[in-house]
Order: sequence, then C-alpha cells, then structure tokens
Amino acid sequence: MRITQSMLASNSLRNLSDSYLKMGKLQNQLSTGKKITKPSDDPVVAMKGMFYRSDLTSVDQYKRNLSELHLWMDNSEAGMDQANSGLQRVRELVIEGQNGTLSPEDRKAIAVEVGQLKQDLVKTANTQVAGRYIYHGTDVMNPPVEQEEPPVVATNITDPTQLKLINNYQVEVSKGVNLKANVNPGNVFSQDLFNVVGDIQTALETNNTSGLDGSLGKLDKVMDTMSAERADLGARSNRLDMVEDRLGQQDILANQVLSDNEDASIEKVIMDMTTQESVHRAALSVGSKIIQPTLMDFLR
Amino acid sequence: MSSTFMGLETARRGMMAQQSALYTTGQNVSNASTPGYSRQRVNFVQTEAYPSIGMNREQIPGQMGTGVKAGSIQRVREGFLDVQYRGENNKLGYWQSQADSLGKMESIMNEPSDSGLANTMDQFWQSLQDLSVDATNSGARSVVRQRGEAVADTFNYLSNSLSSIQKDQKSQIDVTVKEANSVLNQLNKINEQIGGVEPNGYLPNDLYDERDRLIDQLSSLVNVKVDYVKTGGNSDPKVEGKAVIKLVDDNGSELGTLLSDSNYKELKVNYDGVSNTVKTIKLGDPGEMDETKDTSLDFSQMNSSGKLKGLIESYGYEKKDVTDPTKTVAAGTYNDMLGELDRLAFTFANEFNKVHEDGFSPNEISNKTSEKIDFFSDSGNVTISQSGFASRIQISKDIKDSLDNIATAEGGIDPLTNLPRDPANATLGDATNVSALANVINEKLNYKTNEKSDFRNYYQNVIGAMGVMSQEATRLTQNSTSLQQAVDEKRQSVSSVSLDEEMTNMIQFQQAYNASARMITMQDELLDKIINGMGTGGR
Repeated sequence: MRITQSMLASNSLRNLSDSYLKMGKLQNQLSTGKKITKPSDDPVVAMKGMFYRSDLTSVDQYKRNLSELHLWMDNSEAGMDQANSGLQRVRELVIEGQNGTLSPEDRKAIAVEVGQLKQDLVKTANTQVAGRYIYHGTDVMNPPVEQEEPPVVATNITDPTQLKLINNYQVEVSKGVNLKANVNPGNVFSQDLFNVVGDIQTALETNNTSGLDGSLGKLDKVMDTMSAERADLGARSNRLDMVEDRLGQQDILANQVLSDNEDASIEKVIMDMTTQESVHRAALSVGSKIIQPTLMDFLR
Repeated sequence: MSSTFMGLETARRGMMAQQSALYTTGQNVSNASTPGYSRQRVNFVQTEAYPSIGMNREQIPGQMGTGVKAGSIQRVREGFLDVQYRGENNKLGYWQSQADSLGKMESIMNEPSDSGLANTMDQFWQSLQDLSVDATNSGARSVVRQRGEAVADTFNYLSNSLSSIQKDQKSQIDVTVKEANSVLNQLNKINEQIGGVEPNGYLPNDLYDERDRLIDQLSSLVNVKVDYVKTGGNSDPKVEGKAVIKLVDDNGSELGTLLSDSNYKELKVNYDGVSNTVKTIKLGDPGEMDETKDTSLDFSQMNSSGKLKGLIESYGYEKKDVTDPTKTVAAGTYNDMLGELDRLAFTFANEFNKVHEDGFSPNEISNKTSEKIDFFSDSGNVTISQSGFASRIQISKDIKDSLDNIATAEGGIDPLTNLPRDPANATLGDATNVSALANVINEKLNYKTNEKSDFRNYYQNVIGAMGVMSQEATRLTQNSTSLQQAVDEKRQSVSSVSLDEEMTNMIQFQQAYNASARMITMQDELLDKIINGMGTGGR
C-alpha cells in the first residue's frame, strides 16, 4: 500500500484524538468516582442504578418512619408505667381505707390522695407528644379525657364502632408492612378506670367502707386490662426492634450494591489512566517523528 | 532520408514533454493538502515514428522514433473505492445524527442522577411517607405540596426540553435539505461545464475532483447511486462523462433521479403527517411545488439511510399503527419519548387523583362534607387528557389554595357496610389515605396496554431502552467511522500526493529535461562539424 505524508498526518491526528477521548472518559470517572455518566455508557448499570437508588431512598425513609414509632411507643410505655404505679398506690390506699380502726377524718385524708392520683391519671391520659394526644388513637387533636372533674372520656372511646375507627395509628415500616403505633384507648384510660377511682374517692370521702368492698375487684380488672395492653405494646416494641435491625442491614446492603454497581474502582481507573498517558506520550512522539523528515530535507 | 534537423526536433519535444511533467509535478506539490485533490499524472506518448507506413514511404531500414509528447494529463483515482466510500459515508451520516439526537435526549433525561425524574418521584414518595407518620403536621403537608410541584415541574421541564430539541431538529432537517439541494445545483452546473470541455478532447481534472467532492458530501445526506453518461464530440477515451445521480434505498433499488445529464430535482420534505410529522418526501423541479409532477415517496416505506433519514427518524414521522393498520400514528425517537412521558404522567396523575378524591382532607373533616378534590390537574383543561399531558401537568388549584385540601384520612366506601364513609367520623390523625397515595407510586398500573408495572419500573425500562438505543447508535457510529476511514485510507493511498514521490519524479523529469537539452548541444556540435568543418578538405 502506498502511504503519503497527508495520510500519516491524518492518521497520527486521529490516534491522538482517540487517545484524548479515552483519557477524557477516564478523567471523568476519576473526578465523579462513577463508572458511568449517562445510560448509553452501560444501560444495564444505569437501570440497576435507578433501581438501587429508589431502594436506598425507601430504606432511608422507613428508618425515618421508625423514629416516629419509637416516639409513640416509648412515650406510651412511660405514661402507662406512671398510670400503673398510680393505680398500685390507689390499691394500697383502698386496703388501708378498709382498715376499721381509721377515723372518718383519716379516710378523708386518704380520699384527698386518691383525688390527686385521679388527677394525675387524667393528666397522663391527656399526654401530648409533639402536640398530639398519643392516647387517643388517630384522633390526635382532641384530648381523650374531655372533662376532668369528674373525668369523662371522649365518646369515640366509649362507642365500640367509633373506637374501631380511631384505634389505628399505622406507620409503614417496609413495603406493605404497617405497625400500629398507638395503644388501644379503650383498654388504657377507659371510662371504667376513672369511674372506679372516682367511686373509691367518693366512698372514702363519705366514709362508706362497704362501698369500697367491690372496688378492689374492679380496680384489679382495670389494671389487668392495662397490663395486657402494655404487654401487647411490649411485643410490638420488640417487633419494632427487629424491623430496625433488618432495615439497618438492608441499608448497608443497599449502599454496597449501589456502590458495586456504579462506583468506579479508583485503583483500576488510575492504572488505566497511567497506561493511557504513556500511550498518548508515545503517540505524540511518533507523530513528531513521522512528520519531520522528507526527501526534500536531503535534496539540496 | 530524415531531415538534418530531425534530432533537434526530437530533443525539443523531449524538453517540452518533460517540462509539462515538471509543471504537473508543481501542481501536485501545490495541492498536496487540498481536500479532494487527486494527484495527476502526465501520460507520455511517443510521437509517430518516421517513416510512417505508406505506399510511397521512404525505403530506409527500420522506423526511427521522433520523440515524445504529453498525451494527456490524467488524475490517478480508483472509482470503485468512491462507491465504497459513499456507501460507508451514508451509514455514518445516519448513525451520527441518531447518536447525536439520542445523546441530547440522554442529557435532558439526566438519569441516573440525583436530579432526574426518578429522584424527584422518590422524594415525592418520601414526603408522603413523612406525612403519613404525622398527618397533622402542616410542615409535612407543605413538603408534600412542594414535592408534588417538583414532580409536575420535572415532567414539564422534560417534555418542554424534548420539544424544543425536536423543533431544532426540524430546522436541521430543513438545513440538510437545503444543503442537499445546493449540492445538486452545483453538481448540475459542473455537469454542464464538463459537457462543454470534454468534447474538445480535454480531461477536466479539477472539475472531476470538485464533482467527486460534492458527491461525497451528498452521500452523507442521502443514499445515492452514481452513473456516468458519455459526452459526444471529439472526447478523449479517458473522459468520465456527465454524472447521473439516483436516490436509492439500502437494497440498491432506485427511488428517483436527483440529477440527470441535463437538469436536477430538488428534495422537499413535507410535514403533512399526524401532529406535523414527516409523511412524504418529494422530488420535484427546483423552486416550484407541483403536486402532479413531483415524485412522492412515503417516508415510512423509504428505507434509504443518510443524515436526512436519521434526522427525520428522531424528529418524527407518520407510520401505520402496529395494532390497527387503518390508523396512522406519529413515530420517531423524540415523539416516542414524549409519548412515554405523557403516558407516565397521565396514568400516574389519574390514579393519584382517584385515591386522593376518595380520602378526606382536614377541610372536609372540619366541614363534615365529602368533596372530590384533585391533587394534579391539566392546565387549561377541566379533565385530564393524555396527549401532551407531561407538558401541562400541575398541582390543582385546590391544593395550591390550601394545604388542608390534601386528603390524609381514609374515605371512600367502607367494605363492611358498602356505604360511603362519613367525614364526620374521620380524624385528623388518620393517615391511611396518605399511605395509599404513597403506594400509588409502587402500585402496578396500566402504564402500557396489557402490561402492568409500577412507576419506577416502567420509567427504568424507558430509560434503559433509550440507553440501549443510544449505545447502539454510538457503537454503529464508531463502526461506520472506522469503515469510512479505512476506505478513505485506501482512496488516499491511490490518490493523495506523496511529496517524496513528487520529488523523485521532479529529479527524474529534471534530469530528462537536462539530457534533452544536452542532446541539442550535441546536435549543435554535429551541425557545426557539417557546416563549418566539412568541404574544406585540402585547404
């Protein structure tokens, strides 16, 4: 094949620009740290990249949702603990009040303490977390105990069909999996609870010891119901911890997969870059050598 | 008996012929870097020998040569390589314009990234999730509205940017057609000039070069086949004749004549298809549109590659619907992508609105009335329509007016009683409907007929398909570039000027010239002997 100067020149130019193109690509990978910058670089990586990114976003989001569940469950637990010790104390006072040696004045004094405990129960029932009444199911803007003296709970707690509607504060923790955040308002701060405590208070005030007789049983029943709800909350809290663990693992995994898919291996890119640089140097030097001498340089 | 001065004449001819060869060498060296220049060669021919054959020829032994003349000046070129080059150039033109338009599309879609539609949608989903855990939080509500607006804006941005590139492509098509027509006009003029020169026995090498250069240019725009017709008169047998250029499809069958030996036709692109897409391409007399005389080619049937086809295929053309052949639809890379965006936006917005209408917003709860409130709306239209929806999607006025119109609580029909739920029973803390709204993104919907998929999956497929197409176009551009370069290299190998070669020739011609001149000196000495030295014997 006949080769001419113009062919050599254009070939050498083309090789140089190819080499620049390759270096440009590598440089891009180095500066972005990514294997690809557009889908056509590798459509499969691009598609997977979009998928993993969405995946990672959802894992992050579910983790964020968990903190809301923690907020609700931990506060519910604390409130119920406080209510339980209050009721425990009421129970002790009932037993103390039943003691025949007490004078009516002593019983009145006990009644005052029961009254205080009742107020505390009302306050606990109306606990607000971040402006929301957590013991009122989804009806978070209204207090579960509407009237404080004597305490009257909201009608949607006493009415079973309405209770079903509000006993449902759900938080999504992973795709299609919801966890209930609230405790059943009907089982925790029920009208029964306030009635029992109210009756005890009245009985003590009026020195009506016979009125206290049935109260202990009723009080135990109310406490049992609350304990059962507390156990249920505990179980859910355990499940929450498990979900949290799993999400943590998923997060690591999703990040890893995303990185495996998209991130350029810097060592490899630097190696390639160095190789390409030396190729480029060679191309430049060959170019300068080829173009210089012609026959004219020897014709004098 | 030959003439006394015959030797002088032979030497003189030698000098003249070598001189013309030196001039040609000069021409080659001067044009060493002229694009499209083919090196030229002087064809030396011996002049007629003496004596010539005849009845009363002189009876001398043998025929004596009378020297040389420059018979013709011919360019060194291989026509077959031109055909090959144009075939590759044609494909290169097609793939280059495809790769270019797909590359632009990719940069607009900008995936995978933290700012594309996929990410905007993810953020919208996140904002809905945030609201679902705390339905009374007005901050979360406002984020939902903002992110919803971002989704609508992103759709608008993508759709409008694609449309404006599409408009650019239309003007590119027009420019390309103008370029082709101007090339054809120039070719026609060159044909005329060649027709004037060739009958006089000359080889118009410069015109041939110029013509080949123009045909190369034309071949990147449309697929052409070139034939030549001889000009009459006193033509040299080596003349190329006038070029006749035909528009051909990729199988080589002729679609129409672009340039004949006497006139040329103009290409015209008609945007008479559905939604202003290209339906037909016409070939007609320059300057006039005459439906009766123009050759009309149906674009969807026209399988003729080149830059023009590449541009039209990305701009948009009309073709028969695959499912219903009686209908015609707009096809083309940009139309398809715009259609996909419309489909995504339309299907998603409709389903989202349906779920949103069912739910109860804080306003509905406080007014104790059930209303149908849309989240997304179609600007300027009451009902949402699919065609072009991606460019018009926006947040509905109700949502813009009040954040408390975002329906968070569960509404719709109670499956137990089969009765509509009562907003009076709904509570502000109920976020069931927001969860359902967030789920619309993950739900498998009919984005495509008979093929359900969720928003992300469907969009990923759209981007994946675009990536594959673009990758293919880039790869084929590279392939056809290297093929075109390989053929061009072969062509250069035949036709380009080598300075070393020219210098060698120069020395050769120069020495031959010198030698001829030396012959004259020798003749002079001979004649001096005859004239001044002979007949003086005995003096």
